[in-house]
Amino acid sequence: MSKGRLLYNYPLPVRVWHWINASGFVCLILTGFQIRYAEVLNFMPLTVAISIHNYVGFGVIANFFVWLSYYLGTGNVKIYIPDSRGWLALVWEQLKYYGYGVFVGKHNPHLMSPENKFNPLQQLVYLVVMFVFLPAQMMSGLFLWQIKKYEEYINLLGGIKLLDTIHVLLFFLFTSFLVIHCYFATLGHTPLARFKAMLTGFEEH
Amino acid sequence: MKKNYHFTVRYGLYIILTCSVLCPSPLAAVDNSECFECHSDEGLTTESTDNILQIEITESLYVDEDTFDKSIHNLIGITCVDCHADIEELDWNEEVPHARRLEKVHCVSCHEDAGEEFKNSVHMKMRTKGITMTCYACHGYHYVRQMEGASVAERTNSICLKCHNPNQFHEWLPSGDAHFAHVECVVCHAPEVPRHIDLRFYDLITMRFYKGDELIKIIGTNFDKIIQTIDKNHDQIIGMNEFDDLFFMLKQKNIRPILRAELVADINSIAHQISRESAQKTCEMCHASDSPYFNAVSIILIRDDDTVERYKIDRAILESYYVSHFYLLGGTRIKRLDKIGLLIIAGGACAALGHLIIRVLTIPLRRGKKENDD
Ligand code: HEC
Ligand code: HEC
Ligand code: HEC
Ligand code: HEC
Ligand code: HEC
Ligand code: HEC
Ligand code: HEM
Repeated sequence: MSKGRLLYNYPLPVRVWHWINASGFVCLILTGFQIRYAEVLNFMPLTVAISIHNYVGFGVIANFFVWLSYYLGTGNVKIYIPDSRGWLALVWEQLKYYGYGVFVGKHNPHLMSPENKFNPLQQLVYLVVMFVFLPAQMMSGLFLWQIKKYEEYINLLGGIKLLDTIHVLLFFLFTSFLVIHCYFATLGHTPLARFKAMLTGFEEH
Repeated sequence: MKKNYHFTVRYGLYIILTCSVLCPSPLAAVDNSECFECHSDEGLTTESTDNILQIEITESLYVDEDTFDKSIHNLIGITCVDCHADIEELDWNEEVPHARRLEKVHCVSCHEDAGEEFKNSVHMKMRTKGITMTCYACHGYHYVRQMEGASVAERTNSICLKCHNPNQFHEWLPSGDAHFAHVECVVCHAPEVPRHIDLRFYDLITMRFYKGDELIKIIGTNFDKIIQTIDKNHDQIIGMNEFDDLFFMLKQKNIRPILRAELVADINSIAHQISRESAQKTCEMCHASDSPYFNAVSIILIRDDDTVERYKIDRAILESYYVSHFYLLGGTRIKRLDKIGLLIIAGGACAALGHLIIRVLTIPLRRGKKENDD
């Protein structure tokens, strides 16, 4: 990796969005555990956990639309869209790099630039996370917030148990994602480099 | 609860018997039909002076015979004069064949337990403020229906909602409206009262409960045989496998009911112990998988005469997708999902940890390569 090349990879709105989102997720996950496992966890009363979860949930939803309008508005959303051809092979390359190359000191097959920020694996994962999982989580959360008001929709979906199953499975996936996500962020040229980049906006190469 | 019903009939007859032994007068001979000669007339009224406003008011003296006939008191054999006990006989020579002013009916003369439990409740204590509450302010009198088979809506609409608007006092309660639809008020407000979960077959398209007789006909059996049909191992409790079969059977008959679950109080006098501070406010009492609120779970079928057939079921069925339209947050969660969740999260964490370990172990490898490159 050639040193000294500074890329302005994370514009201010993205950084602000990102850290609000991150802290929101941590809150939602913690309160989520408290809500589901009230008989074993006891770090806050259930009513408190539920109100925090509801308020923060709405925060994350609003924040999602900030993110969406930013990316749609600037047209930058294309960085999330994998190339139509050959992306599977590229994902495979990237996987090989993380599973082998990174240990033996090979170069990252993906060259980062503000226009092409994500490697194919990131593209795929972020695309699914941001355009499928998060919206699904937001919708199911919204329904669970007012189960009586949305009763008809919930019944159409097959009942509240199924709705809750969606919300909970996604919750587990997000928790797992967060762990891996944070770990992967340490794969920059120094372990803290990418965290710094997400704070200052500049990525060093 | 068929057995219980027989018990109450016997108990009821016992009361009547003691009544007539204690006061051996011809009153037992006064038949309801004699009263209805006049009181089934919708136009029968009386003028009286209202004791608050001091104005003349007209009160109806009409009693609806059909509705009265369906009341628990009538079904159990209690007659007009068992309650209006100061009418000993009718004097048909008079325009009014009994005293023009009759005594108040004392419900507690038969319902001692209820009176005892009611004594210290907030609704009794408010007498100090000058508000008197009679038993029939809640229950009504001529048309008291058997409550056991009543849904939450029927129970609360006919009782508490006459006077209280629950939306006012429960801002702290998340999803209040869902609670009020599935939890009877007294389950929280008289927390000592025993309670149970009732599951009833409900049709989402027509939005109504299936009647017991209707279901029996669809299944093609009768009330005496149905339990043998369902409870194959005769342990008096419907287990998960038996439940599978039941649903399969219904599917074959081409009906797809959902099970509506409600948390209701037993028909028990302790339900009257409503006081100001005692309401259940600890959400974790219910919203925990080991909650004692769900120990008694049963499917109920309601017969046309309001009596209830009750079949105990294994509580685990609440935690299955069969009861897909009722989820008590945390409390009746699907346990298998927790295992899947553990796998997902532990999988992610192990992958990250494993990667990290290999990364650390291979540091010498990369250092060697770098030196070579230089
Ligand atoms: C012949 C007609 C007639 C019959 C039979 C009759 N009642 Fe009445 N009842 C009346 C009339 C008239 C009044 C209104 C009296 C008044 O307010 O002047 C009345 C009043 C009442 C009242 C209200 C009393 C009050 O304090 O306001 C009750 C309760 C009552 N009847 C019960 C009965 C019962 C129980 C029977 C059967 C055992 C019965 N009645 C049979 C004509 C009848
Ligand atoms: C479960 C007890 C009970 C039974 C059974 C009963 N009543 Fe009553 N009745 C009451 C009560 C309570 C009142 C309210 C006023 C009072 O306390 O006197 C009342 C009031 C009345 C009144 C006054 C008008 C009104 O509706 O308030 C009439 C008339 C009357 N009853 C007739 C009858 C007749 C006729 C029968 C039999 C068909 C009958 N009652 C059976 C308890 C009973
Ligand atoms: C504040 C409203 C209220 C008042 C007032 C009230 N009840 Fe009740 N009563 C209830 C409720 C609620 C239940 C339980 C219903 C359930 O289980 O869903 C009940 C149950 C009952 C039962 C059936 C359980 C049992 O004890 O066998 C009887 C009988 C009864 N009440 C009689 C009375 C009598 C008598 C009085 C007057 C002393 C009275 N009630 C006053 C609300 C009231
Ligand atoms: C003559 C005796 C008698 C009188 C007076 C009487 N009841 Fe009852 N009541 C009974 C009997 C017997 C039953 C059935 C057994 C039982 O549930 O306790 C019953 C049942 C009930 C039930 C329970 C219904 C259920 O779901 O099982 C209620 C509520 C009730 N009565 C209310 C009243 C009220 C209110 C009054 C006064 C207006 C009253 N009763 C007066 C004898 C009486
Ligand atoms: C006939 C009207 C009436 C019915 C029916 C009724 N209540 Fe009440 N309730 C009152 C009144 C009046 C008060 C006293 C308010 C006060 O003292 O300030 C009261 C007080 C209370 C209180 C104490 C809180 C307060 O505001 O003081 C609770 C809790 C309560 N009721 C619950 C219930 C429940 C649960 C039911 C149904 C089983 C019920 N009530 C049925 C009239 C009613
Ligand atoms: C989940 C349990 C729960 C259910 C269900 C519930 N309540 Fe309550 N309710 C409470 C608690 C707890 C309080 C006391 C609130 C407080 O202390 O701030 C309360 C407060 C009240 C009060 C005011 C009492 C006061 O002390 O100021 C009334 C009246 C009342 N409830 C009526 C009802 C009625 C009517 C229903 C049924 C439609 C109902 N509640 C259902 C738990 C419940
Ligand atoms: C505390 C938790 C989090 C930390 C520490 C963290 C860290 C980072 C870092 C360092 C980056 C930038 C570089 C990279 O892609 O590796 C990043 C980007 C990103 N993260 Fe997170 N993250 C967290 C939570 C989340 C959550 C919960 C989500 C899920 C919605 C998420 C979604 C994303 C996305 C979509 C990007 C790309 C941002 C862009 O558009 O530039 N992150 N994160």
